[in-house]
Amino acid sequence: MKLYKKDGNIMQILSFPNESAEKGDYLMVEDADVAKALIVQVIDVQFAAVQGVLEELLRTLPDGAEPIQGEDIDPLEIAPHITYIQDATLLVCKIRATLEGGTLSPSSSWLPSRSQSLIKKISIPELMKLAKVNGNLPIILGGTKDSTLLTIDASEIDGTLNIITGKKGCGKSHLSKLLMASLIGYKATVVIFDLNGEYGSIGMTNDGRRNMYYDKIYALTPSQNFKVDIDQLHLNVVLGILVNALHLPGTSAREFKHIWKGLRDRGALTLANLGEAIRNCNCNQHVRDALASRFHSLVNSGFFTDNKAESTLLEDSMLKAKEQGGAMVINLKNTGNIDRQIVVEYVLGKLVDSLQNWKLKAVFLFAEEAHLYLRETYWDDIVTRMRHFGIFTTFITNQPDTIQDTIYRQADNIFLFNFTNEHDLDVVSRAARVDAETVRSIARDLPPHHCLTLGRVVHDFPMVTRVRSLDLKTMGETRLFFAQVPVIA
Amino acid sequence: MVIEQYTITTTPKYNFPQPTPETPLPQRFIELSINSLRQVRNTTFQPNPQNIHQDAYAEETPTQLQLKRQPLPLSPRRQETTLAAVDTSTIKIGETTTGIVIAIRGATVWKQNRNYKYQRFGPLIFHITEENKNAVYGNLQRDYFKAQNSGSHQSAPTLMQMPTRLASLLERLLQTTLAKKMTDGLILFDGSLTCGTIDTPVHRLREILSTARRNQNTVIAFSKATSLRSNGFLITDLLPEKETPYLLETTGLSFKPPTVLLGDVYVARLNKANMAFRLDIDHEMPFQSHLEAVEKLLGNDAFQHGYPETLRLAHILCTFTANEVLAMQHFVTRRHGIQIINRPDMHRLLFGPFGKEGYA
Repeated sequence: MKLYKKDGNIMQILSFPNESAEKGDYLMVEDADVAKALIVQVIDVQFAAVQGVLEELLRTLPDGAEPIQGEDIDPLEIAPHITYIQDATLLVCKIRATLEGGTLSPSSSWLPSRSQSLIKKISIPELMKLAKVNGNLPIILGGTKDSTLLTIDASEIDGTLNIITGKKGCGKSHLSKLLMASLIGYKATVVIFDLNGEYGSIGMTNDGRRNMYYDKIYALTPSQNFKVDIDQLHLNVVLGILVNALHLPGTSAREFKHIWKGLRDRGALTLANLGEAIRNCNCNQHVRDALASRFHSLVNSGFFTDNKAESTLLEDSMLKAKEQGGAMVINLKNTGNIDRQIVVEYVLGKLVDSLQNWKLKAVFLFAEEAHLYLRETYWDDIVTRMRHFGIFTTFITNQPDTIQDTIYRQADNIFLFNFTNEHDLDVVSRAARVDAETVRSIARDLPPHHCLTLGRVVHDFPMVTRVRSLDLKTMGETRLFFAQVPVIA
Repeated sequence: MVIEQYTITTTPKYNFPQPTPETPLPQRFIELSINSLRQVRNTTFQPNPQNIHQDAYAEETPTQLQLKRQPLPLSPRRQETTLAAVDTSTIKIGETTTGIVIAIRGATVWKQNRNYKYQRFGPLIFHITEENKNAVYGNLQRDYFKAQNSGSHQSAPTLMQMPTRLASLLERLLQTTLAKKMTDGLILFDGSLTCGTIDTPVHRLREILSTARRNQNTVIAFSKATSLRSNGFLITDLLPEKETPYLLETTGLSFKPPTVLLGDVYVARLNKANMAFRLDIDHEMPFQSHLEAVEKLLGNDAFQHGYPETLRLAHILCTFTANEVLAMQHFVTRRHGIQIINRPDMHRLLFGPFGKEGYA
């Protein structure tokens, strides 16, 4: 390989047919004279612009249709040299770092010698060792192209904002399950907003046996095994539900606050009493009507109860998860739109409350297709305010444009699966830790179940991994009409 | 990009479809090529040289040349006839401290049963020095043409003439082989049937034509450009607006010795394209067979801009591309340990931006 050109942080390297390099590979451009090396990543492979190739190709089709048949007597065997030149490739590489004295730095302000530099491929384990991408809490993401494992450190997900995105059916949920299971293994507390009811059986193996996570998975289905005792509900949480999920106007919210406090002071906070108090409220008719309609929504959700015995599961789960690690899977599969928002508002409110009171140390929140249940103003809240309380969110979506720009800019890690749509790639390119060329070039060609990992977990060395399989019962398959139809021969 | 290079006249190939295995052609060329390259082992090499500028064969314009204005109409004869064409190319691929490194390649294309086929010979790379040029050229002349005066100072080309001389030799050799092995066909040469020059002695071309005739072949030479003029005008510019295809006869054409013309010269406009070519047909053949040969050519070959496809393919196949030149430079450096050096461009060095080639 020969160094050909450098433009900004893009380097072009000439590669010959016997030197294979593919998109995603890392190369080291070493200049022994200055004892420095550039670490570059191949982001595109092109044909080298060798003069005369067009003529070479054209003359094989001189009559415009079938190749002319003939014999080449090539006594000096020059033909292999012609092929060698003709098949030369140009590796478009992105400079990732400078290696000097065994230490990596993000600088690319120097230029290695074009004639003297030695260029060689660098294996992923070698790079990971240099970049110190390992640690005490390893999570094996999967295998790399050179048959080594890509291992990230769980602590690099701690306190971060992550995005898992890619086309439908390329393995996003699978990766989020892998991350989730690994975190649980390290006794972390995980909360999942499970839109499609596919995380509840993580405690089971594919063949239906219990696995090591079985006792750490708490599947909570709103209105069934997951209810809230209204007496234990904090005013802030209920106001959050009324205002954010049920769009209660401010004036009405103030009136509700008085009613709530009155009942609380009297120790008579039940659903029945709350309904009665609203009906008898000495206030504007419109306010009363507004409060009454929200109250009925709360009651009709079936999520609230006066029975303390029915409402202990979340608290218990949190307690256990805090001790041994565990995942609270909030199953939103059969929950209506409004009820879904009520549940999410409650859970988030409860989490903040628990974190503020140090009932929980920190929570890893996995939110699948969050735009379906999170109000817009919540996005910033989650990534800024709630992060300080200890809620570390991972968004999972196949519609990257549903996540706000501000989220991308603050994302610490991006796990990117295949996208072919230019618009989707554009959106993902906005992430601060990502360069557009890498995303556009590599993500477009990712095969299914292969993920481009970007950001802190890989110390800003984008790496492609085939996400490893898990022996977990998968529930995320799409129900198919023709799946059971016998094939007609 | 096609490198500027010389295409010498056409050459034959063996009898179709099978080449003769016993032909002495490859072996001697190969031996000389390899031997010459051995001499440059572990020396330095300057690639990307300037193209060799050889004076094109200067046609002496005969004073009495007249072009008959009455066209000879032609009608294509579909009778199945084998067509064959030969062309060679040469290029200088670099310089060493003692000489030049050149490459030559020849191609024979034939059309039989409506299919074009080809045989390419080469590239052959030669390292030519002042010391070995006579031996290389002389040996080839002697081995293939039994030349008596090979190696003599009269016939010894200069170093810069060697690429075209060697290519010309290869081309005549391919033509000879083709004339011997083919029967009842049309053999297309690139160029004219003018001879008497150092690289095309009269006896050599005469022998080729005579061999072709013995095998009932007709030789037709196409010149892409001519300097022949009639009444001050290029003969290929004087095209009557008549229905194509047609030939225009010339008369009164003779050259001063030692130049000899072995063909009858025509101007051929072979399709509606407003392009005509000088056509030389073996003058030992009867006039009627000249017309028949061109009509068979019309009935058996495709034409682009009035130029036969078989000959066009021969040219295309032997021409060196820039990619191939790179490959040959790669070959000589890898196989023969020749170290590439880059001498400064003196024009650039002395004249800066005014030192571009072509702004002499």
